[in-house]
Amino acid sequence: MTMDRRTVLGLGGVATAGVVLAPGMTLIASPQPDKTEASGDQRWAMLIDVNKCDSDCTACTKACRQENNVPLFGDPNRDIHWIRKLEIRDKEHKRPSVSLPVLCNHCEHPPCAHVCPTQATFKRKDGIVLVDKHRCIGCRYCMLACPYKARSLVYHKTTIPEDGNPKVPIRAKGVVEKCNFCVHLVDEGEKPACVQACSKEGKNAMIFGDLNDPDSEISVKVRTVKTQTIRADLGLKPHVFYEGL
Amino acid sequence: MRSLQSHPVKFTVLLALVWAFVLVLPTMVVASGHGAAAQQSKVAYSGGPPQLEKAKGDACIRESGWMRRNHMDFLKHRRAETVREGLRIRSESLVRCAECHQSHEKFCDQCHNYVGVAPDCFECHSYPK
Repeated sequence: MTMDRRTVLGLGGVATAGVVLAPGMTLIASPQPDKTEASGDQRWAMLIDVNKCDSDCTACTKACRQENNVPLFGDPNRDIHWIRKLEIRDKEHKRPSVSLPVLCNHCEHPPCAHVCPTQATFKRKDGIVLVDKHRCIGCRYCMLACPYKARSLVYHKTTIPEDGNPKVPIRAKGVVEKCNFCVHLVDEGEKPACVQACSKEGKNAMIFGDLNDPDSEISVKVRTVKTQTIRADLGLKPHVFYEGL
Repeated sequence: MRSLQSHPVKFTVLLALVWAFVLVLPTMVVASGHGAAAQQSKVAYSGGPPQLEKAKGDACIRESGWMRRNHMDFLKHRRAETVREGLRIRSESLVRCAECHQSHEKFCDQCHNYVGVAPDCFECHSYPK
């Protein structure tokens, strides 16, 4: 059998295409992806409905301490808070006092990351502002820069608690830590511990979701309901929204 | 007074004693210093080559020789990528290390103590179970 010039060239082309494409192809997609990576397609944010938040409820702060092994030293000047409950009172008593949780606002333009001399604090592609504790030198510039008082320095040596969460490491003495939107849960497709605790408590005051997805619950709410951010005048574009503040 | 030259045997003995002292002194200093260092280190090195606990699985995710030489760069590189890029590869995570090497005291620490390096990973992180 003889092949003409056109057949030989055609077969050569098919073989080359096969060699180039085949390694990247799989016949059946794996049920659970082996690899996840933060992507700019998402922009995580939180919406807190202040009207649904009770002043005597501390489910979110408790859940946060349990999930992230946040120690309580019992010294108000040195205690670590990733999320804390604040009571806002109107001095002239024209408006009722409101209770709300305050946590890291995961700003679009985070001043903490801007001032960090070692680039330990940074913003991930999906908008979560994180502290790389391996790089943090504990200089505390970020604590001064943050207008939300969301950051704490670990003043004392801590140990891995017996009943703690083994999935989250404790932090060494002398690094700065803060809320990370439970990044280990978010990467697994779950919601932060405070949001889970709030809905378990039946309050449903906290919503967590992706702002880049126009159909997500949080996107719809932010578009349709009047929401506010704390200190919006600073132009940092915080991503923790408050409803009814 | 008789000169030393007239007693060559005595001179040789004296010289040998001086030399023995010079040779033994540094050994004694090193030995005492080594003893103090061993007391200070967290897990005292018991002597002999490191005894590694046998791994459970059949094969590591990389060839053993490669792992011996490069695991530190591998782990550190993955650590930076995981923290900063959110890259989490299930098949290459530390959780999978623990599936075969079930105790870091009986595996990781054995060599680390032998060669005198002290990575502080597990002062904050829990070794996966």
